[in-house]
Amino acid sequence: MSEQIAFWILSAIAVLGALVAVRKRNLIHGVFALMIFFAALSGLFLLLLAEFIAAVQILVYIGAVGILLLFAIMLTERVAGDDGRRMTSRGWFWGLVVAAAVFVVLLLPAIQQWPTPEVTQAPDPSVEELGHKLMNPYVMTLEVLALLLTAALIGAVTAAQGMRKPKEEGSPE
Amino acid sequence: MTLHHYLILAALLFCIGLMGAFTRRNAIVVLFSVEIMLNAANLNLIAFWRYGDNPALQHGPLFTLFAIAVAAAEVAVGLALVIAVYRHFRSVDLEVMDTLKEE
Repeated sequence: MSEQIAFWILSAIAVLGALVAVRKRNLIHGVFALMIFFAALSGLFLLLLAEFIAAVQILVYIGAVGILLLFAIMLTERVAGDDGRRMTSRGWFWGLVVAAAVFVVLLLPAIQQWPTPEVTQAPDPSVEELGHKLMNPYVMTLEVLALLLTAALIGAVTAAQGMRKPKEEGSPE
Repeated sequence: MTLHHYLILAALLFCIGLMGAFTRRNAIVVLFSVEIMLNAANLNLIAFWRYGDNPALQHGPLFTLFAIAVAAAEVAVGLALVIAVYRHFRSVDLEVMDTLKEE
């Protein structure tokens, strides 16, 4: 019973947070709504007994991605967003139609077999098994991922730095 | 709670993200929307793991972990690109960036 109450509260917060993040004109407010969305999703992961993923969600999304988005907003345009100008793109109507259509298509298979049995077996919520799995069969994936993160870091710095003007001959430095 | 509750919630969140990506003009808001969609997909993965056949294998959390790491790399590169584009066009408006469009 308490699980159901938690599910409904968390999903309401997640949907509202996502809607506000997507529709808000002020980008800073949008980022904070996005952080609330991430926190609600982390709660849902806890409810599904994936506690490590819930912790990672808070660390990576609220801690890193949110702050990164804040910095990007403050480095670019007016913080208050595109004031006075149109907020939506030219084809917004078709965007809405396509989003609604995708929602229906995603919903159809779920509705067709509506009453599903409750959960049969609860997974072991310990992180230990996850760590063993990460070390034994998936160690190569982990290494490739580390390489990817390094490459992304270097790429991000290079892209954000922009083109340097070639130095003139004989100038100091 | 059944699997369907989580699946429908994830579909709804995905479509909110899709709506944002299709209807907003600001490149940073489009990045938000992509993040929302990625998170909805992660919720699906975890829900299928929880209600699936063999949760002891930990496939759901492992896959989600890798997806989160790739998503973090994607956000870093995406924001760097937004900043580079801003430096060039003095705007993050997606309708300004139409250099490749044939007039």
